[in-house]
Amino acid sequence: MAQAAQNKTRGRKLLGASALLSVLAGLYFGLIEAPPDAYQGNAQRIMYLHIPSILTAYLSFFIVFIGSCLFLWKREKRDDILASSAAEIGVLFTALTILEGSIWGKPTWGVWWTWDARLTLTAILLLIFIGYLMLRSLIEDETRAAVCSAVLGIIGFLDIPLIHMSVYWWRTLHQPPSILRPDKMPWENIHPSMLIALAVNFVAFILLYFYLLSLRFHVGEMEEEAKTRKLYRGSL
Amino acid sequence: MELLRQTVWLLRKDLLLELRRRESVVAMFFFGTLLLFVFHFAFEIPPDRAAAMAPGLLWLAFIFTGTLGLTQLFQAERENHCLEALLLGPMDRAALYLAKVSFNLFLMLLVEVIIFPLFWILFNLAFWELLPSLFLVALLGTMGFCVLGTLFSAVTLKARARELLLPLILFPLMIPVILATVRGMEILLRTGQFEEAVPWLRLLVGFDVIFLTAGFLIFEWVIEA
Amino acid sequence: MSGWGFVFLAYGIVWLALLLYLFFLKRRARRVEKELAPLRSSAVKKN
Repeated sequence: MAQAAQNKTRGRKLLGASALLSVLAGLYFGLIEAPPDAYQGNAQRIMYLHIPSILTAYLSFFIVFIGSCLFLWKREKRDDILASSAAEIGVLFTALTILEGSIWGKPTWGVWWTWDARLTLTAILLLIFIGYLMLRSLIEDETRAAVCSAVLGIIGFLDIPLIHMSVYWWRTLHQPPSILRPDKMPWENIHPSMLIALAVNFVAFILLYFYLLSLRFHVGEMEEEAKTRKLYRGSL
Repeated sequence: MELLRQTVWLLRKDLLLELRRRESVVAMFFFGTLLLFVFHFAFEIPPDRAAAMAPGLLWLAFIFTGTLGLTQLFQAERENHCLEALLLGPMDRAALYLAKVSFNLFLMLLVEVIIFPLFWILFNLAFWELLPSLFLVALLGTMGFCVLGTLFSAVTLKARARELLLPLILFPLMIPVILATVRGMEILLRTGQFEEAVPWLRLLVGFDVIFLTAGFLIFEWVIEA
Repeated sequence: MSGWGFVFLAYGIVWLALLLYLFFLKRRARRVEKELAPLRSSAVKKN
């Protein structure tokens, strides 16, 4: 039993170390190695944060969805802890994505905020995440909180494609075309060292995300164990 | 079918209660009308922009009114442990869901039918011949609102700050419905062409079907928690 | 170059936020571990 826990800790430490290394590599490739953009200059380097962040945010919601489904099916506390951990970290990454998008927007579009599809969608995702966390904190009975937030996790995830569709239709029918489109994914005509920087930063974010998630999950499990032990202390 | 019979029985109970006391429908109607009045003071609407802004304002009024109805939706069951009594029997939980969705839909449509023409008159709009297609859009949108709203009304039933939490959770999820109904109505008012609004209507139908099914399957876990 | 200013602002906020979160998470972990240790050992003793 103790050996398994030790292995998990060691695995986490390894994950954390590799996350740190790839983050540093990402910083090097993004800030030093990659060239400045032809149109946007150096401000474009924020993309190396923004695109990995947004993908990590969506990954997080997917994990909330999986955890919620598993919990409603099997009713094992670990799945609920997984869902709530992913939600907590998801809020963080989503909020950061919005901040990055806003800061990127100022030098490229001239404004701190615009209702373009991507920023709007990220803001909606943040609202759903926040709703999830608030629901959990405002329901007193723990089992009920777990069940109810699982329902929100599932419905929210099912809604995301519909939200995407409606927001994209809304924006493309009304927004006049603009020359600078930093919200376009520049897969074609991209400088190879930019692609490398993007890839390295993407790996860095994923590793960092899973490190934080595993740590948060571990804390959640320990808190649950502490609660259970205190509950049964009288009867032992 | 047994499910249908139970749904109708529960719906009849709610309708009878509402008929006798008329709490929800009167409050919703007055609240909706009040909102329209306040909008008139809050928004300076030039007559040439009225048709473009009308759907949005109308839907805002419906959504806030509908939320009022949602917070009241399970009120009868909360008093005197009626919910526990209902659940003690072998009744299909999904029947309760369908009955509540239908009941809220009925209330909202009733309010909309009265407010719609009132809104048209108050804001001097003249598109009477478009009313049927506009009402189709409104029906699909209201359906979407009731389907998700009922589910989350049950989800927040035993939460603190319920009246604040329900809109907080529901509104972001409702964005496809809000966009589709408002854009759909706006297209109809602007062009009079039904075909252009069809993509939005398809989205609404998809939304309604997906979440009616999801709610139908998930509701029993919510209500038993 | 005004571009770099925004870059450092974005990178600064992001990494600061992530580091802060990691810091608070580790502090929470330490607190729970401290709480859990006596509970675990007392259970072992009683058995």
